[in-house]
Amino acid sequence: MSDKSAFKILTVPEVAVVDEIKDEIDEVKTFYLSFENKEIEKKFKIKSGQFIMCTIFGAGEFAVSLPPSPENDRFHISVRQVGKVTGALHQLKPGDKVGIRGPFGNGFPFEEIKGKNVIYVAGGIGLIPLRSSIVHVLQHRNEFGRIILLYGSRSSKDLMYRYNIDEWLKIDGFETYVTIDREEPGWSGEVGFVHNLIGKAKVPTENTVAFVCGPPVMFNAVIKELLSQGLSEDDIISTLERHMKCGIGKCQHCAIGRTLVCTDGPVYTYRQIKTLGEQI
Amino acid sequence: MFVLQKDQIEKLLLALKESYALYGPTLHEVSGQVLFDEIADIKSLNINAAIPYNPPKYTVFPQFERILSYQYNKSTKEAKIAMDNLQKPKALVGIRPCDLTGILCLDRFFMGQEFVDEVFVEHRKKMFIVANTCVTPFPQCFCVCTDSGPSAQEGYDVNLTDIGDVYLFETGSPKGEEMAKKLGLAKASAEQEGMKKKVVDESISKFEPVAKENKAWISRVMNRITTGFIPNEVWEYIGNQCLECGACSFVCPTCSCFNIEDVNTLDGKTNRLRTWDSCSFEGYTKMAGEHNPRKPVEDRRNKRFFCKLSYSQSKKYLRPGCVGCGRCARVCPGDIGLPNVVTYIRREITRQV
Ligand code: SF4
Ligand code: SF4
Repeated sequence: MSDKSAFKILTVPEVAVVDEIKDEIDEVKTFYLSFENKEIEKKFKIKSGQFIMCTIFGAGEFAVSLPPSPENDRFHISVRQVGKVTGALHQLKPGDKVGIRGPFGNGFPFEEIKGKNVIYVAGGIGLIPLRSSIVHVLQHRNEFGRIILLYGSRSSKDLMYRYNIDEWLKIDGFETYVTIDREEPGWSGEVGFVHNLIGKAKVPTENTVAFVCGPPVMFNAVIKELLSQGLSEDDIISTLERHMKCGIGKCQHCAIGRTLVCTDGPVYTYRQIKTLGEQI
Repeated sequence: MFVLQKDQIEKLLLALKESYALYGPTLHEVSGQVLFDEIADIKSLNINAAIPYNPPKYTVFPQFERILSYQYNKSTKEAKIAMDNLQKPKALVGIRPCDLTGILCLDRFFMGQEFVDEVFVEHRKKMFIVANTCVTPFPQCFCVCTDSGPSAQEGYDVNLTDIGDVYLFETGSPKGEEMAKKLGLAKASAEQEGMKKKVVDESISKFEPVAKENKAWISRVMNRITTGFIPNEVWEYIGNQCLECGACSFVCPTCSCFNIEDVNTLDGKTNRLRTWDSCSFEGYTKMAGEHNPRKPVEDRRNKRFFCKLSYSQSKKYLRPGCVGCGRCARVCPGDIGLPNVVTYIRREITRQV
């Protein structure tokens, strides 16, 4: 359950300005946003792993995960163009406005995992929802054990947040491995699927949590590998995406088994995901 | 308890009409059906009519509703958003106990969970409810199995019971109390009060045998559905009969899934509409990019009955999600209304033991 006392925009969206747009990879852009109403800007606090409902005026509303760290990070969303509403978002220019409700959802554990080793395993745009937690944990580096990122995508052109990764690779004590599926001219990093990095990185299994996010094939391979290394199902954490309309547990579009992704999730342990009884 | 003379019903309606828009059972002339409808002329309200074809759910959760509207000026980049679903207070008169229980389920679901649905509250907060005890059950009814009738237990301002020559007039809230005072009603005698139990007992004895038989089974079926001990073939059998028309959800007093859509108008405004939806529709869980995690129709059927008859859902309603109105059985072209589903699962359980 998320914190009930936290400020949330429930029904009527608050207007936000698109301050800057950054092209990420093919079909994915990052939009830096700030609220028009400065009071809201001050009150609006997120947790890693939460999501917002974003209105593109005249097109509709969609659920989107939050990549920024809850502390000292510019507020933004990174969105792949997949349908009508996200298509309309991609047409926007700096200075245009959008509507925002939220933040919703339970979020990733943070305080609870202090002192532990943290492994992030991401495939493709699966890095988007994990970015928030990665940056947040790095901001508190001394309070965690080993911090490891294993990130893979199809090709170097499909790597999200290249500019962040370049920084991360330089951070002492942040073990970052990046891999692409096939050899490429000019690529000196790892080659192969991301689950192969798990052994290579000699990931710890005691006192460790792993955050996993990516397409189903990658997800399943990674889970299998982590389990065989000895991680427990309770220590593997992921975030689910569902068709959502309300964000507040009423419309029931995101029901999986007996939970609602919007209010019970979107963050679940692998043990929970297994018992939901539907495809991820 | 008070006594309301039969010819005083009109007085009650007139008193309510001063501050509320009236809704109640009325005979629809063209279709010949009883509908729960807005009552413009108090003479058209028929408190003795059969259980309405449609539940009063729409009075708190309309089938189509604008929940807000906005206007975005592309050149000045100015966005104006307004929540404009302000509602006139409504009085529901002659609501059946099953349907009242349905509204209480919706209350707990929309207002009693982690978040309060502000759109629902706007409809619900200023209501006056006059319930009506079912002195004769209708053929489809099985509220005795789901603990939601034939007499209302809670949630009303006034509860009427026809005890022959007069109505017993029970009050369930200060608003109801005030109404009794306003109408100058006489107190009921001890003998009249005692009549209620007699009338209700008699009503219970008149339920169809199948409703009575299923009584003990509902809780066992709930147990099975919750624990998942129902073979997939049973769900498949049920799913194969579903035509995915969505009728069951629409007539159900407790089904509350909805869709939200932004619809542009010609004058440059956009209305955000919330409309009823049904988990039986194939596109229900489809995400942008066409990935649909829930595919086969038996999955979707399973979902609806899970909502009505599982403990985890009951926790949200503080009771089973089915109120025994029998409407889904009446409208389903595939013969898989809830009572039949209970029967199928019941058969399966008996086969196993
Ligand atoms: S009324 Fe019957 S056929 Fe129609 S969606 Fe419901 S279960 Fe399926
Ligand atoms: S499931 Fe069927 S019988 Fe039960 S309340 Fe809904 S419509 Fe009525």
